[in-house]
Amino acid sequence: MTPWKHHMGNHRWRFVVCASTVVTYVCIVSIFGIAPVRSQELNKLPNFPCSSSDSPLTGDAKKLFMTYCLDCHDGSSQEGGLNLVALLEKNTFDSTFIFENVITGKMPPGDMEQPTDAERSVMLEWLATVQDKSEQKSYRRISRHEFVHSVNDLLGVKLDLADSIPEDRGTRDFDSDRRIMLTKEMLSAYFVAADKMIEFAFPENGYPPDQSWLTSQIKDSHPTYSSYVRDYKDGLLFSWTRANNGNNYSFFYEGFTPSVKGWYEFTFDAAKVGDFAEDISLQVYAGKYYFADDRPQPQRLLDVISLGNKDVKSLTVRGFLQPGENVSVHCYSKHTWRQKTGDQGAYIKQLKVRGPVLEQWPPKPFTKTFAGLALNVPQRETQESVVGKTELQQIGGRISVSSFQKGMEKEKMQDGSTRTFWHTRFTPDVAKPPHYVILENPASKEISGLSYATWSGGNGNGQVKEYSISLSDDGNRWGKPIVQGHLNTQWSTEQNILFPAKTSKRYIKFIVTDAVSLDGKSLASIGKLDVISEEGVDRKKATNATVTVASVSQNDLKRVIRRFAEKAFSSKLSEEDLAPYNKASLDSLVTTGDFVRATKIGLKSVICSHRFLLAPGVHKRKSYRAAAYLARVLWLSVPDKRLLDLAESGRLSGEMVRVEIDRMIKDTRSQRMVHSFCSQWLNLRSFNSVSPSLKLYPVYDDLVNHYLPLETEAYMNHLIHENLPVSRLIDSDFSFLNQRLAQHYGIDGVIGQQMRKVTFSPQTPRGGILTMGSVLKITTDGFTTSPILRGAWISRNIAGNTLSPPPESVTAIEPDANHVATLKEQIDAHKNQSGCYACHKSIDPYGFALESFDATGQWRTRYQVEKPHVGTFIYRPEGYFKLAGNVESSGMVGESTFDDVFGLKKILLSDYKKVAYNFAKKYFEYANGYKPTLLQRIELFKMIPTVSEDCRLKNLIHQVLMYSVKGGRQ
Amino acid sequence: MSNMHRRNLLKAGMALPLALNTLKLRASDNKGKPPRRIIFICNSLGFYPPYFFPKNQGDISTSEYLKDVKSAEKMTVFGNFFHPGMSTSNHDSEKSFLTGVPNPEASNFVNNISLDQILARKLGSDTRFPFLNFSIYDRGWGCSWNDRGVAIPPMHNEEQIFNMMFGEEDLKAKKLRIKNDQDVLDCLRQDLAQLGNARGNETGQQGKLDSYKAVIRELEAQLEHEKYWLSTEKPTVEKSLSTDKEFGFSTKVHNMFELAKIAFRTDSTRVITFSLDWIYGAIKVPGATGGWHTLSHHAGRPETIEKLSRVERDIVKHFNQFLFEMDRIREGDGTLLDHTTVILGSNFGDSSNHTCKNLPTIVAGGGYKHQSHVEFEKPTALCNLYLELLHHHDVDIDKFGSSVRDMRLL
Repeated sequence: MTPWKHHMGNHRWRFVVCASTVVTYVCIVSIFGIAPVRSQELNKLPNFPCSSSDSPLTGDAKKLFMTYCLDCHDGSSQEGGLNLVALLEKNTFDSTFIFENVITGKMPPGDMEQPTDAERSVMLEWLATVQDKSEQKSYRRISRHEFVHSVNDLLGVKLDLADSIPEDRGTRDFDSDRRIMLTKEMLSAYFVAADKMIEFAFPENGYPPDQSWLTSQIKDSHPTYSSYVRDYKDGLLFSWTRANNGNNYSFFYEGFTPSVKGWYEFTFDAAKVGDFAEDISLQVYAGKYYFADDRPQPQRLLDVISLGNKDVKSLTVRGFLQPGENVSVHCYSKHTWRQKTGDQGAYIKQLKVRGPVLEQWPPKPFTKTFAGLALNVPQRETQESVVGKTELQQIGGRISVSSFQKGMEKEKMQDGSTRTFWHTRFTPDVAKPPHYVILENPASKEISGLSYATWSGGNGNGQVKEYSISLSDDGNRWGKPIVQGHLNTQWSTEQNILFPAKTSKRYIKFIVTDAVSLDGKSLASIGKLDVISEEGVDRKKATNATVTVASVSQNDLKRVIRRFAEKAFSSKLSEEDLAPYNKASLDSLVTTGDFVRATKIGLKSVICSHRFLLAPGVHKRKSYRAAAYLARVLWLSVPDKRLLDLAESGRLSGEMVRVEIDRMIKDTRSQRMVHSFCSQWLNLRSFNSVSPSLKLYPVYDDLVNHYLPLETEAYMNHLIHENLPVSRLIDSDFSFLNQRLAQHYGIDGVIGQQMRKVTFSPQTPRGGILTMGSVLKITTDGFTTSPILRGAWISRNIAGNTLSPPPESVTAIEPDANHVATLKEQIDAHKNQSGCYACHKSIDPYGFALESFDATGQWRTRYQVEKPHVGTFIYRPEGYFKLAGNVESSGMVGESTFDDVFGLKKILLSDYKKVAYNFAKKYFEYANGYKPTLLQRIELFKMIPTVSEDCRLKNLIHQVLMYSVKGGRQ
Repeated sequence: MSNMHRRNLLKAGMALPLALNTLKLRASDNKGKPPRRIIFICNSLGFYPPYFFPKNQGDISTSEYLKDVKSAEKMTVFGNFFHPGMSTSNHDSEKSFLTGVPNPEASNFVNNISLDQILARKLGSDTRFPFLNFSIYDRGWGCSWNDRGVAIPPMHNEEQIFNMMFGEEDLKAKKLRIKNDQDVLDCLRQDLAQLGNARGNETGQQGKLDSYKAVIRELEAQLEHEKYWLSTEKPTVEKSLSTDKEFGFSTKVHNMFELAKIAFRTDSTRVITFSLDWIYGAIKVPGATGGWHTLSHHAGRPETIEKLSRVERDIVKHFNQFLFEMDRIREGDGTLLDHTTVILGSNFGDSSNHTCKNLPTIVAGGGYKHQSHVEFEKPTALCNLYLELLHHHDVDIDKFGSSVRDMRLL
């Protein structure tokens, strides 16, 4: 085992006490995984510009090192374990660590004599030339995110399949890392994903009707929580209900069944009820309903509706549903915690579900892929149904029973719930058998069977075990039983009884011949009983609309495949190049005559091709390669028409590249880049792998968890689009918040869940990304905060310090949360070990300043300590903790001291160059799939202006990309 | 036919001979070693500890529940296992049973890959089903979690499981997909061949094309493998499922064990998980009717414990029968049980107060040196046992979940 594990701190944070000093590695400390990177792998791309390797300056450089460095780093003193005398003799060694210290001005130290800029350049170039060199792979596989975005754009659909494709990044920082190989497992997953996406674009069975359902009924929910939703006016009133396990308890709506996967529209007619200023949040989830379980299933949050309106308003969100899924709602407002009575909460009058929604008809994949060809487009049907009526009601039927107990009448079998039920009379006297239900079918509709469900949630008394069914024309004379059988007594789902043949007789008698009896009495109970009729509205046979292509011409087919392939491959294709991609399609067209089906095989070949999956692909000319590169980096996709046109005419170079980058950043597709870059650079991908303890942080919930990363993304998006100075990464007087986040941060006056720019007062300890909840959360384990993990995060991602790993013989120390007063002392202790101090003095202090924030990013002045707790965990809003020692947030970076996070930000700002240099390096790695070589780093450093306010983020991105494109074209 | 042999054929890109077909009902009559198999059973409400654990240390015959187990000499009961980081939890703890990830009750909990799925990668490539995953009710999740921490929905319908393993199936769509994929691969191969001729010397291109060719070859082999199973007849098995309606729960448990047994016997799979998940509402077993969950919160009331123990005895009865029947099927120089590792455990040590300490754990079969009953002095990470199981199945890994080390318990 390597020493890396000591930094992993997988569940509880640890720190290491180092016992010896070895500086051989570049230390990459990540919060959840460690990527030990031998510097030999920090290779250079052969086709980037670089200085001649036999530098005539070698001799000068060595002299400069002797002048400025050997006082401390000679063979006898070897400060920090570095013996430069020995290294200067070598022709190649890993010079990264020294290089980074020299380029960022950390070395020589401030109180020593400094080299001039020109001298420093000579030293750096020498270090770059002696750097170990090995060939960097000249290509990379595209990531699953790039795959999905590209195929979506190519087909004209919006299907998020990235989560169904395995993550192949491993412990690498960036998706684009060239060391990641395309494996069989990935290619196999791409084959499957390609099938799904092409099938979604051109469904084999056509498009189902545009259906809509209107419902105001919810499904049965767990008895513990169903009391927090109640009938109100024409609909239902929901209060904020967190289940005992702490999950948001959400209530499922009844009655609609998405027939195919696709986008659906959910329109809630809803209003806020209550006299408080804040909006109520209506969280809309999708998932599968299982009654059997009180634990809300893993559900996807589709969207959040902010209810501020006191009058009922129609509010619409969209979401992607799979067949078999339903929609559930959870209503959050800090004022309406588990209310059973009273007039406060979210009132939902009704829900209208519509879908699958298509943006246009004929659908976009057809008009896009088959542009210029005639389509056969039938009319798409629309269908509406009102949910809530049973099928018996829909055919105008009635029900009668042998006897009933008060409160358990026959209507209870027809009210859509299995929690309410019909029961035979048991008091004052017990009704005599036979117990039966008669269903009347006055309009003589065709009935093929009955649907039965037990009543659920009770002791099971009266549940039907055996039954017999007879028919009659007049309700008096009954024929022989047409069907007899068993029913399962423990199922909560419907059990269907199918008749041997359909019947349209007027009376159907369901006789209970045996039932569960816990006390020996003759009883019967039924939760739901309904007829199964083909003539019910919901069962009306829907006709799918199938769009076809009028042509059967092989040339048309070739043109279709060519157009698609040239876009996907970002190139022009010769007849010979195209031939393999046409072949299977043409064969299929000849045998089946089905133009669309034939096209699908060709499209699949294209998106499974190495020309598409491995970048750069095979490009007719360099400008095509540049177009593909820019589209991949800025849009995670393929080039659009304009880029391809520029590439074809050879105009994508020089100033035009700058113009295009600007256009591409303005395009909404660049949001994908911001999302992707932020989640990788700032490690936000691990955001959900930390679960704040509900005992310590009881107010943390799904909603704040949903919005925290969005804040960071919106902020970064703003900085990039507005081309703001790099210093805004560290500090600013604004962020993007909504009501929930403002509540979390203790900021008043933000109403509604729409994200908007909020300006902070000077006393607010927010602004900049260090103090965002997202960052503060991922740098913990969800229980306690760790100054070391947070310090390492800042060192690595923001300050850009180069760290060494802890040496082999280290032991981890578990902090004792009950004695937090000594926490800082404990950590300080390892500073006294000289081996540790060399590195930890540049790691830990950042973390100390952030001690003022707990593991969810809330401000604190005292630590929270979990109270011992035995037995079942039951969620309570006040949690299970007591307050302990005061937070200490002071520290020292280099020679500068700070009292708190405000002070720390000032120190970081004073060295904006380092922050900018680090940003440029990270963006370079994101864009190119490897860490810049030392020579490239010299170029990156030159991009940084000498005035802080001139150093702007969009400019840096521009320069990194221009530099990369230029390098790639050499 | 040995595994090695078949892999070599696959590597050569050849169609597989249909010899496997002749295996039919005999799990393995091959000359080499019988294959190793494994099943994990999670009894989600645990067992009443005083009745489960032996009263006298080291002596399984002093356990109220286990004293009559017929295969006692091929079984070890372990006391004092736990998942670090989980002292108490709620029913979500079942999610961590085979993963060891703490804090499953948190609302944004993300699970990890489960033990069976790692084993399925190793043991799953030579059978029709790489793994099977059962539960009693339809709940969408059970013991098995994929490498992205997403639940693999278990199957719960006996008929469907039986038909999937042994029933006839319309293979048209599957065959068409494989044909399409092979056409796509042909296309890609041709493109690569043309490019190889045209620009073989271009810098960097050759390595890229070669690596892609290699991946395509592997995928081709996978398609051949799938085709092999499509063209291989399913084994013929007499339906031995119980249809007793009186004790529905009992029938279900019996049938799931029966399905597991015939799945192993026919070598349809080598990795199974079975989650005995609970549901609201009453269940009926011989001697008691009541809500299993309600009974599990017995709070020490003797009459409730009596009823609960009826449910638990019933489960142990089916487990016992499963082991007994597995042990009667000869295979190689031993029995099917000798080549099948059976783990019965739970996410709760005591579900009455939702504690996750002292998890009831049995390892049976597998040809290990069994020791009746082992009680650890200190709470010990269950993942240590998991790590050891991985090692016994030739998975080269030095850590699983919260494991500290392979304790060589078996």
